[in-house]
Amino acid sequence: MEVTDAVVVAQVLSGDKEAFRLLVNRHSRSIFHVTYRMTGNQQDAEELVQETFLRAYKALARFELRSNFSTWLYRIAVNRTLDFLSMKKMQSKDTYQIVDEPDPEEGRQIQLSSDSPGPDRMVLSAEMKSKVAQSMSLLTPVERIAFTMRHMEGRSIDEIGETLKLNTSAAKNSIFRAVKKLRQQLEVYASHAQ
Amino acid sequence: MKHLGEEQIVLHYYGDAEDNAAVAQHISECPACRREFERVQAMLRQIEPIEVPEPFAGFEEKTWLKLRDQLPEKRSWLGGWLRSPKQWALAGSMVALLFMAFVAGRYWPKQPTQNPSPLVAANSPSPNPNPPQQQIVLVAVGNHLERSEMLLVEIMNSDGKAPLNFSAEQERARDLLDANHLYRVSAQQAGDPKIAHLLDQLGRVLAEVANSPEKMSTRDLQDIRGTIESEGLLFKVRVVGSDVNSRVRRSEQSPAANVTQRL
Repeated sequence: MEVTDAVVVAQVLSGDKEAFRLLVNRHSRSIFHVTYRMTGNQQDAEELVQETFLRAYKALARFELRSNFSTWLYRIAVNRTLDFLSMKKMQSKDTYQIVDEPDPEEGRQIQLSSDSPGPDRMVLSAEMKSKVAQSMSLLTPVERIAFTMRHMEGRSIDEIGETLKLNTSAAKNSIFRAVKKLRQQLEVYASHAQ
Repeated sequence: MKHLGEEQIVLHYYGDAEDNAAVAQHISECPACRREFERVQAMLRQIEPIEVPEPFAGFEEKTWLKLRDQLPEKRSWLGGWLRSPKQWALAGSMVALLFMAFVAGRYWPKQPTQNPSPLVAANSPSPNPNPPQQQIVLVAVGNHLERSEMLLVEIMNSDGKAPLNFSAEQERARDLLDANHLYRVSAQQAGDPKIAHLLDQLGRVLAEVANSPEKMSTRDLQDIRGTIESEGLLFKVRVVGSDVNSRVRRSEQSPAANVTQRL
């Protein structure tokens, strides 16, 4: 029978540092998926996995053994990513470039009819992905994470609120603001892609 | 017929609108709102989940190897104390120091000194002068707390009659929130848990303000005010901000003064 996470946590807390390896082996890949989705950068995501586990280890005494370890770890990862994105935004504020409204000319360049053959649509899809990534970088860290959790991970408003320490209306509003900003950037592409 | 707002339409797409059934009913009856919903739907459907690349082979093992050296030892604190003669010696020294401090405090002539805030100045004076970069960060924290205090005061003193337009305050809260994260992390790294804790509390309120709806309801405002009041946040921000500023001033007036500014 597999040893549960709670048992491993208790073992680490009793002084067996090596037991933490089991938790790293079990959860590092899923935490990487989370941090990658939120940062869109492999190197940042890998570093955030390290930091998440380091923070979890230091806070392990506060973990309630009846809780779900992966949920607890997920929240640490999200909040660590939020700190990281906020710091990154602060640091790059001086050189931050505001992306203007989408250029209609640019939109026309990739305009395709709805019955375009496969390869063309793939090009359009790649364009769209690149534009989505660019537009996501215009969101505030909270908007970006709340949107990723709702849209990409299908998390509920309550989960988003609990993870980001927001009340329900603030969580909903972060998602709305994210969508509003994305619309301003992407709508022209979405209409061409249809 | 009153049309749906953009927020209702977006939230309806995710099934998160206050009254989804009524919104759905309206969309089925109102061509303008239906068109708007279809536009939102088309745009959001284009945003596919980000494809996550698989990390390199042996990712788990390499993560562990890098992590292992950074992990501090975890011991039961009682076991640690009992096993380590050094800790016993340290405990003895601490007791002796406490006793000496008590005696000194009891018989030392009293001087009219300004007591610093317990939140900031629990750090005892140190003979090390203040590094310039720490001084700069401290000045920035002082400004940050001052700006935050002004925002909190405005929130506490607004008339509270709906509909409330807090868009300007929200914009300021967003700016402050970014800086707050940075200062909190700096305080944590500098080993100043008291300022870090205050900034953590402040950050939660700023996040709540920044992410509340543009047209705030009286209930939303009451929630935010309740959080500010229950944590005594305005008072703490004032006290700590004032202490930080007076320490900066003292340090500027007398560079040789042996005042340690953590951060």
